[in-house]
Amino acid sequence: MLTSFRKLKKPRHSGVIRLLHWSYTPAMFASLFSGLYINKPRRFLGFRSMNSARKTHFISQFVLLFSFLARVIYGLQNKNYREILPNRKTWKNLPKFLKYELFLTHKNPKFPKYNPGQKILFSGLAVFTLLQVITGLGLYASSSWQKLTKLAGGLNPLRQLHYLLALVLSTLVSGHLYFVFTHEPKKLKSIFTGYE
Amino acid sequence: MKPPVIWLGTNTCAGDSLSFLNAYDPGYQFFINELVDFRYNYLIGAAEGNTSIQIFESALTELSGQYILIVEGTIPTLFAGMCSIIGYRNGQPWTALQAVKELGAKARYVIAAGTCAAFGGPYSSDPNPTRSLPVHKVLDKPVINVPGCPINPEWMMGTLMHLVRYGEPELDDYNRPKLFYGETIHNLCQRRQYFDDSIFAKKPGEPWCMYKLGCKGPTTYADCPYRQWNGEHLSWPVKANTPCIGCTSPEFPDGDMPFFSHLPDVKLPGIRLSANRFGMLTAAATALGIGAHLAGSIVNGRLFKTWQKGFGTKPKRK
Repeated sequence: MLTSFRKLKKPRHSGVIRLLHWSYTPAMFASLFSGLYINKPRRFLGFRSMNSARKTHFISQFVLLFSFLARVIYGLQNKNYREILPNRKTWKNLPKFLKYELFLTHKNPKFPKYNPGQKILFSGLAVFTLLQVITGLGLYASSSWQKLTKLAGGLNPLRQLHYLLALVLSTLVSGHLYFVFTHEPKKLKSIFTGYE
Repeated sequence: MKPPVIWLGTNTCAGDSLSFLNAYDPGYQFFINELVDFRYNYLIGAAEGNTSIQIFESALTELSGQYILIVEGTIPTLFAGMCSIIGYRNGQPWTALQAVKELGAKARYVIAAGTCAAFGGPYSSDPNPTRSLPVHKVLDKPVINVPGCPINPEWMMGTLMHLVRYGEPELDDYNRPKLFYGETIHNLCQRRQYFDDSIFAKKPGEPWCMYKLGCKGPTTYADCPYRQWNGEHLSWPVKANTPCIGCTSPEFPDGDMPFFSHLPDVKLPGIRLSANRFGMLTAAATALGIGAHLAGSIVNGRLFKTWQKGFGTKPKRK
């Protein structure tokens, strides 16, 4: 049994990547919806009280933080970040990619694991998630992180920045979900099974 | 020996001096008789003209390094500081900028009384035509900030008492005494349980949590909920059924307006939008972008072709 598994071709996404992906995905959604409730409490966001929204936000922020950190460490250890971070080639290929995505050509350019759009989107998600975690910690422990508050110009501007970053992340996640469901279902399958 | 105190008024509404006079226990009488040698206050001093100026002269020459300087208000810097004149010294106008720099340099402690003196506050809010600055930005030495619009009398009395009896109190990163500004209004609020249970006031005057009306309690460090106002500890904004407007915060008022809104407005070049409206516009723009691409993919037949390919084949063996 074990030998037959070993004989399978290299997976598109390793088990660790899939495990971490499915850790921070629910954490991201839970943080987003509880955060929207904390910003403006409304029943349709799925919370009965501020207490439950805050508890959800508290737990999900730590799941997000630790799974994000684990993903960064894993990416660095396996040099997997090279597949994600945009390089000179990415920017060179970007016009070709955009031409196809904007329906200006029928020719679907081939790229290694990720196309320039995915690379920019995933790197954006990593950078903005990190900023979101930092601003979130600044709001959560505002008395011990007062230097950060000072840098942002006060707690209210920090709170606004946290909200604006949530908007950026929601936009990126929406884009990610759209492309996941409309571009190559076999790649969507690979985040569940590992294989295309 | 009681330490001499000089209370200077620069660009101010005088609210902090007036609030301070309402100190109750210890009161103003104790303050002038027992605690300090109160040399000067711009609002209630009897001296005028040269007599007033002589108080400063003697402080600068005889009391150097001994007196406590309290500054109330911002310091205008435009037009050579001529927008705020303390008096005439040697026949020349003595600006607040000159006075604060000169008196501040020789003071033992400098205290900024009120949010204007501490962080700029309303007197340096946009468009700030006199380019007014808070005290710490015109002095090269540490300034103890006692913000509030106005200050609670006990915040100032307590800080002075601490300075006289025990030395400098423990300060936070904004140089505010932790004794009074160590916890958020929200965490000390009597209506905190209503917040946790999501029982919110829909309009001012209702006895519930003011969060949905833009209460700045969660982002404001002060002990108003238990100290209350004024000397007699009678009430405070939320107890009077209005939201906290965050008057002790360094970004007050420009950075936490509108007061009845949860988040400050989003300012873009030429546009000012409420944060929630900006959020709705972002969502609409995202939906429009995705919708347009989806429509293009359907019309183009690309989506159909993609889905036709399906989920691929089973993993192959080497």
